[in-house]
Amino acid sequence: MTATNTKLTEVTTNSMATNRPILHRAVRLSGLFVLITALTSCATGRIDPTDPIGENAKQIDGLMRLSGYLAAAVGVFVAIAVVIVIVKFRARPDDDPNDLPEQIHGNKKAELTWTIIPVILLVFLTVITIPAVFDLSGKGDGRTIKVEGQQWWWQFSYDIDEDGTPDIVTANDLVIPIGEEINLEILSNDVIHSFWIPQLNGKKDAVPGRVHHWRISSPVPGIFYGECTEFCGLSHANMQMRAVALEQDDYDAWVEDQMKASSVPTAASAKRGYDLFGRHCISCHVVNGVYESAANGNANLTSGYAPNLTHLMTRTSFAGSVFELYNDDGSLNIADLREWVRNAPARKPSRPDNRQGMVSFAEILNEADLDDIVTYLSTLGGPPPLMPS
Amino acid sequence: MAMTEERPEILELESGETTPTTGVFARPTNASGWRSWFFTVDHKKIGIMYGAVAMFWFLWAGIEALLIRLQLFTPDGNVLTADQYNQLFTMHGTTMVFLVIMPLAAAFANYMVPLQIGARDVAFPRLNALGLWLFIFGGIFLNLSWFLGGGPDGGWFAYAPNTGVTYSPGNGMDFYALGLQIVGIASLVGSMNLIVTIINMRAPGMSMLRMPVFTWMILVVQFLLLFALPVITVALVLLSFDRTFDSNFFNVAMGADPLLWQHLFWIFGHPEVYVLILPSFGIVSETLPVFSRKPLFGYSVIVISGAAIGFMGWGVWAHHMFVSGLGPVGVAAFSATTMFIAVPTGVKILNWIATMWGGNIRFTVPMMFSVSLVSMFTIGGLSGVMHAVAPADTQQTDTYFIVAHFHYVLFGGALMGLFAGMYYWWPKAFGYKLNDALGKWHFWLVLIGFNMTFGPMHILGLQGMARRHSRYGPEDGFDFWNAVVSIGAFVILIGMIIFAINIVRTWLGYKAGTVPQEGADPWDGRTLEWAIPSPAPEHNFDYVPVVTDLDDFWHKKYQTDETGKLRKVANGNDIAQKGDQHPHLPSASYWPIVLAAGFPLIALGLIYNLWLAGIGLLLMLGSMFGWSLEPATDPDAGHDGHGDHQDPDITDSDGSDNNTAEEAPVG
Repeated sequence: MTATNTKLTEVTTNSMATNRPILHRAVRLSGLFVLITALTSCATGRIDPTDPIGENAKQIDGLMRLSGYLAAAVGVFVAIAVVIVIVKFRARPDDDPNDLPEQIHGNKKAELTWTIIPVILLVFLTVITIPAVFDLSGKGDGRTIKVEGQQWWWQFSYDIDEDGTPDIVTANDLVIPIGEEINLEILSNDVIHSFWIPQLNGKKDAVPGRVHHWRISSPVPGIFYGECTEFCGLSHANMQMRAVALEQDDYDAWVEDQMKASSVPTAASAKRGYDLFGRHCISCHVVNGVYESAANGNANLTSGYAPNLTHLMTRTSFAGSVFELYNDDGSLNIADLREWVRNAPARKPSRPDNRQGMVSFAEILNEADLDDIVTYLSTLGGPPPLMPS
Repeated sequence: MAMTEERPEILELESGETTPTTGVFARPTNASGWRSWFFTVDHKKIGIMYGAVAMFWFLWAGIEALLIRLQLFTPDGNVLTADQYNQLFTMHGTTMVFLVIMPLAAAFANYMVPLQIGARDVAFPRLNALGLWLFIFGGIFLNLSWFLGGGPDGGWFAYAPNTGVTYSPGNGMDFYALGLQIVGIASLVGSMNLIVTIINMRAPGMSMLRMPVFTWMILVVQFLLLFALPVITVALVLLSFDRTFDSNFFNVAMGADPLLWQHLFWIFGHPEVYVLILPSFGIVSETLPVFSRKPLFGYSVIVISGAAIGFMGWGVWAHHMFVSGLGPVGVAAFSATTMFIAVPTGVKILNWIATMWGGNIRFTVPMMFSVSLVSMFTIGGLSGVMHAVAPADTQQTDTYFIVAHFHYVLFGGALMGLFAGMYYWWPKAFGYKLNDALGKWHFWLVLIGFNMTFGPMHILGLQGMARRHSRYGPEDGFDFWNAVVSIGAFVILIGMIIFAINIVRTWLGYKAGTVPQEGADPWDGRTLEWAIPSPAPEHNFDYVPVVTDLDDFWHKKYQTDETGKLRKVANGNDIAQKGDQHPHLPSASYWPIVLAAGFPLIALGLIYNLWLAGIGLLLMLGSMFGWSLEPATDPDAGHDGHGDHQDPDITDSDGSDNNTAEEAPVG
């Protein structure tokens, strides 16, 4: 992984660096040295477009490298020409000021040549680009999952029995089986967002009023990170998501588990949390099978305002995937969860007064209430089928 | 062109007989003090004011950028709130495009185009002043938002529906929509003025293909503006109506398609890219031949490719929308057109290199900036071709790879060219050169800082760092390069501080007499602006030159001797005009600034109170009347007491008022 990264990045930096005037070359060479050292020593991030896993991402990666190498080659050619000009044709102090260089006004042949060569290169790029565009625009032939962007989190709906109403509604973690071209239907409930899990495919905008088809697939199980990439307002930076790819058996087990409705807890603290949740949270958060309310009783399993929390503990993250739900040792991340429930706007920029983001309960819930609610939340399903490594 | 030979007197108003009493108010007459600037219609003063005000906004947009870089210096930065960050990146982009690069190009266009074509002013001097003041008031209005509840927060691209009242409840986007309308009118007025000027007011003999490339590129840009601005005007009207009067142009619940905004915005926005870059292409097409001591390689190809870029620029807008749901046919079509706009651009680059090839290159500061344009813009152009591969763009768009790309185009291209222009034409505008040593410090710091800032952004983009994110996490692995980028930004700052020191120091030195006065032709120039004294006299040309060649002034200096060898036959400073004539010039006017002042009042009124808009409207209509009823000329006005009305004898003897003088050879 690191090796491939370094390779591509080196190429890019070469194309960037070699165009500079000669006096800058020393700086460039030392910079390149620092760059390679840094790249080989630095861990790459978890969102990593240069390490494609999915079929579509691999196809794109090939095109990107090809165009990158071509661009680099042309860049090196221009750079060499500029360097020669700077070195060879600079005026010397002993030049006779009355001696003019040869006055050349142009050369039709030369100009024609450097018009035609780029045309050939670009025709070549166009010819390989256009089929790829059509290739990559096809729907996935696997199952369909509805992806809805909204400020500032992602909702995923699964219609398992294909009756037109969703059977599983979840958030943040998009669970998919491996080896299948999943057909995503991307929508938005408010402004334009963009769905991007770079290791599986390029990005696709979620535009309100439109349904965009996009496909992703992974040949191997794993967690693949993504983020919203179309500016969507205040907390655009805090709207992430991840794809969790599972073996077929694990996926089936996950589906079976997710289809189960929730039940009223029996332990005292969790029951108190359940009651508090019923008082303060269910106008926005749905938990399937419990509570008597309009939002909770609807067939769509979503209120339209906030994530369905029925199987919260089967996810790896919360609040638009900004926080990990579990600590590295596998224990529940109670600290962040508790602070989130207490005062969400303090943890993630939002405008609850304008219906953009979760309200603060700092003035409403006391410490004991928070403990009880977190205890209740911890009973909502779990653990996740796959933990982040 | 026979027509040009028969052209009547250029820019000379009806002389003497004009009755001075037709107007309601007299024209302003102060030839000095602040009034000489506020009411001026002199294209050179207007150009200088465009430049000065644009440099002020450049400082402000730079501070905005540095705040952004401070926030991103480390993971989870807490220098700014998310809201402030969004406002700052919105206004950094908006300011750099509309209040810095466009007006800097307008500064050069205003100052240099009349000089390059041998005219005494632009065709409509008062409109020229109106454009300037609309730009100034529009910029002030736009930035008033900082003091009235916060800046615009929807990005300079302002994608609907995020910019509607529902999602952007503050007034910031109102200031954006109305402010851009005002500066848009400024550009529109300017474009018509320059088109008429360039087409009608060229000196006798200057056919279109004898016109300097800078003037050519400005002409192309004005046509782009003329056709592109109405599109953004429509888009902004729709946005303002949605926000102010609850209309439904971008209301998805009422069936609107938000992509309407994107199409309108980018049909304007992509030609706008060429509006930003072509003036700089024009500038280096002037400087490279001068400092290589060779003619431009393939003049006609460079001109035609510039015009071709202007045409093709209209057919590529949707490459900004490859992931927004165009469908494969649309994506494929725009992918192909985008590929091929690289051809005329590439031809230009190679022609510039061929211009330098075999030359005798003097690496002055303007030349260094010009060469850096050629090399840095190439990098931005090549990454642009990578984006034209639409599937690759689905990984690159909205990441820092794009930020790197367009900064190599707009900073490495447009700004480097504009700096080249500043150093090159400084002596013509002010009479002295900027300091060479400080200029070289400025250049190297900016070049190194620029590459430190925007080079690593390619890597960050490939690593997946998204644009417009107010933070990144420690787990993302973006720390190292973001730190490098932020340090680079401060290196640029140091370079710019040195530039400011250079301006102040040489100015003080010039006043104290330690910085030498330059003659008419300090660089051994090729075009007509070097055929008049430095700084350019108020009337530009004592007599209108007659042009017989491309690079006419150069051909007056260099001619072949009997052996067929090119020899310098005259010194530019010696054969230049003396600037000692005093022909009649258009009088100053109160009305452009007063008329322009009505616009921000109307805009403020639309946001806060319609009565205020009414006052602004009255002011606007009133000054339109004042404008049209103003005396055509004021015989008592200024001209240092040498007005040709008072003393017709001078006019006759110096010949500035009759056609025979125009035929006089240079020198």
